[in-house]
Amino acid sequence: MKIFGDIKQWFLETAMVVRRETARALSDVGVLIFFFLLPFAYPLVYSAIYNPEVTRDMPVAVVDECRTAESRRFAREADATQAAKVCGYASDMGEARRWMADHRCYAIIHIPSDYSERLGRGEQGVISIYYDLGLLLRYRTFLSSFTELQMATDTRLRTELLNTVGFVSDAPSNVQTEAYFLGDPQQGFASFILIGIVVLILQQSMLLGIVLLDGTERERRLGFDSYGLAELRGVAPSALITGRTLSYTFLYLPATVYILHYIPEFFNFPHLGNMFEGCLLMIPMLLATAMLGQAVRFMTSERESAFIIVVFTSVIFLFLSGLTWPRFAMSPLWYGLGSLVPATWGVEGFLRINNNGATLEQQTIPYLALWGLFVLYSILAYISARHYRRR
Amino acid sequence: MKALSAVARREIRRICSRPVYLVGMLLVPLFMAFFFLSLLGEGLLRRVPVAIVDLDHSQISRRITRQLDATELCDITCHKESYSQAMDAVQRGEIFGFFVIPAEFESKALANRAPTLTFYSNLTYYVPGTLIYKGFKTLAVTTSGQLVQQDLVSKGASNRAAGLILQPMVLDNHPMGNPYLNYSYYLSSSFLPGILQLMIFLMTAFSITQEIKRSTSVEWLATAGNRIGTALVGKLLPQTVIFYILGLGMNALMFGFHHFPENSPWWHMALGMLLFVIASQSFSVVVCSVIPNPRLALSVVSLTGILAFSVAAFSFPVQAMYGWIAIFADLLPVRWYFLIYIDQALNGVALYYSRLYYAALLGFPIAATLCAPLMKRALKDPVYVP
Repeated sequence: MKIFGDIKQWFLETAMVVRRETARALSDVGVLIFFFLLPFAYPLVYSAIYNPEVTRDMPVAVVDECRTAESRRFAREADATQAAKVCGYASDMGEARRWMADHRCYAIIHIPSDYSERLGRGEQGVISIYYDLGLLLRYRTFLSSFTELQMATDTRLRTELLNTVGFVSDAPSNVQTEAYFLGDPQQGFASFILIGIVVLILQQSMLLGIVLLDGTERERRLGFDSYGLAELRGVAPSALITGRTLSYTFLYLPATVYILHYIPEFFNFPHLGNMFEGCLLMIPMLLATAMLGQAVRFMTSERESAFIIVVFTSVIFLFLSGLTWPRFAMSPLWYGLGSLVPATWGVEGFLRINNNGATLEQQTIPYLALWGLFVLYSILAYISARHYRRR
Repeated sequence: MKALSAVARREIRRICSRPVYLVGMLLVPLFMAFFFLSLLGEGLLRRVPVAIVDLDHSQISRRITRQLDATELCDITCHKESYSQAMDAVQRGEIFGFFVIPAEFESKALANRAPTLTFYSNLTYYVPGTLIYKGFKTLAVTTSGQLVQQDLVSKGASNRAAGLILQPMVLDNHPMGNPYLNYSYYLSSSFLPGILQLMIFLMTAFSITQEIKRSTSVEWLATAGNRIGTALVGKLLPQTVIFYILGLGMNALMFGFHHFPENSPWWHMALGMLLFVIASQSFSVVVCSVIPNPRLALSVVSLTGILAFSVAAFSFPVQAMYGWIAIFADLLPVRWYFLIYIDQALNGVALYYSRLYYAALLGFPIAATLCAPLMKRALKDPVYVP
């Protein structure tokens, strides 16, 4: 019956590791910053940055060489769109270009001298618009507003034209269109990027904290005083990694609920799906992240190098998650690397649950992938833990 | 001068002695340059997977389907039989949107009974979502146009007149500087300097606070003849050289090798890069002077370095942010470098218009000079709190 004794011993060891490791994390101010302050404060900071969601009333210069009722009407209606605000009439393109160089306007509407004349003759009137492309978002906002304005103007002019030539005007535009935006109905910037970022924050802050803890551990050899894993020398590697993983995951549960449920509530972000299922999806992500953090123990020679190793990866992981550039368009190399990052699947699955109201059943692939990563990183963490025990 | 070169030589020895410097100053920036320039490929997204829900199965509805599949924006990967099936595919992430042709579309359209074309784009993924919205919208409008034209011609209008009547007015859109709307131009040219700034922040703070941590700062100051100016310049100059070469290399990769637009003389960006590297180092010096604690200083620079990607407004404009947040953008060197990039490389305006941005970058070394006495106090009496 030795086996039962061994199993009992293993559970006792695991429980001890959980207790010791939790105490160690809670007594280290650096780790506290990453485990608690960062997941609580960062979502607030990011939300504050992006919360205006959309950009409106951007200054536009008008160069009106036509100066007729029709051209002035266009300028007036452009001013009335959500995107644009006419900041002034420039006398010619040269002046308007100078305004743009000075950032007094971000677009120039140029109405040629024959605009009304062509409309009157039943020819096509052309208005040129020049955009500053410093920011893609500005251009997109302008473009969608101006395209709508063009369509509205076309409908109005068409009715007028048809009436003048004597056609019955019920025929045109007999097909209606309706557009719906799923997941982010107001096309806001925060609603789209924030949800992904907060999931990534969970992973990155935990990684930083774990790497910091391991860096501290190795520093003991340099003679800096801190207590740590060395006191757990006799513990089985599997008990060690299980205990540590459980400890970190427990520590992260409050932050997870806060980030996934309360942040969207506070800031009125899209928040559709069942949050219990959202949290269920996060559990394998947290477990896999905890194991990943322990697996890369060899990379930290001291406490502070944790920053150099981990911080920049946030940027890589953000892009690998497919939040800004969809994963299907990535090369196999980056797609494959992205698949190895827990947050990639976490972001993907959670976005669909939260923004699109998907169920966990529909997120089977991310969910299983996260458990797969957990198994993979457990093996690596085990190898790493064994290696360090021998030393 | 002799002291300066002694400090510089001491620093070069330190840089060569620890692998973490190699990682932070060379491998990470190079990897990131490779990452950003290869991630987006050509920088143009095409053929986003979508579904069509054709409830009509008529001649016109099939034509619409063919036209949608023929656009470069959308790729019809599946045909669904109902809204809920298509929605399920969106929620599973198989498609990014779908286009619905209602039942009896053709007969209603030909009888002028105003049927409705409906399309759904998943804006949870912004870039593909807006792209297929554009594709769907264009398709809906041209379909409507074709039907009207058909109707007018059948009522006796000439083909040409019917075509003109459809669009009496058009907008001629000119996106200046980036006419093919290449996404990579945005991302690489703002995020690579952002990464460079982050690594400069980190490595400067790391190398300074290491001296405090290991109590070598006294010896460092002594090598510099007890002058803090000599000590800092001597220590940071070798790093300036390394980071500047890296920065120029990144610019060469983007503007030279990848043919990103560079509408100004090359030295406008090269000068901007030099000032940007020095400004980033100075920012870190200021932080280390105020908080001469390895952990806290590194925490502060890494948090600001990461937040810089958002606050410096590479994608969401500063003008739309809350005023009190927008102030923070001004405190980041990369913000000014980004403005120089837009003015000079992208738009190619006269140097005069960017004068304030260059001047702003010069403000950072001045701030560092003012903080140097604080730093000296910390170096003289190093205390390490883990």
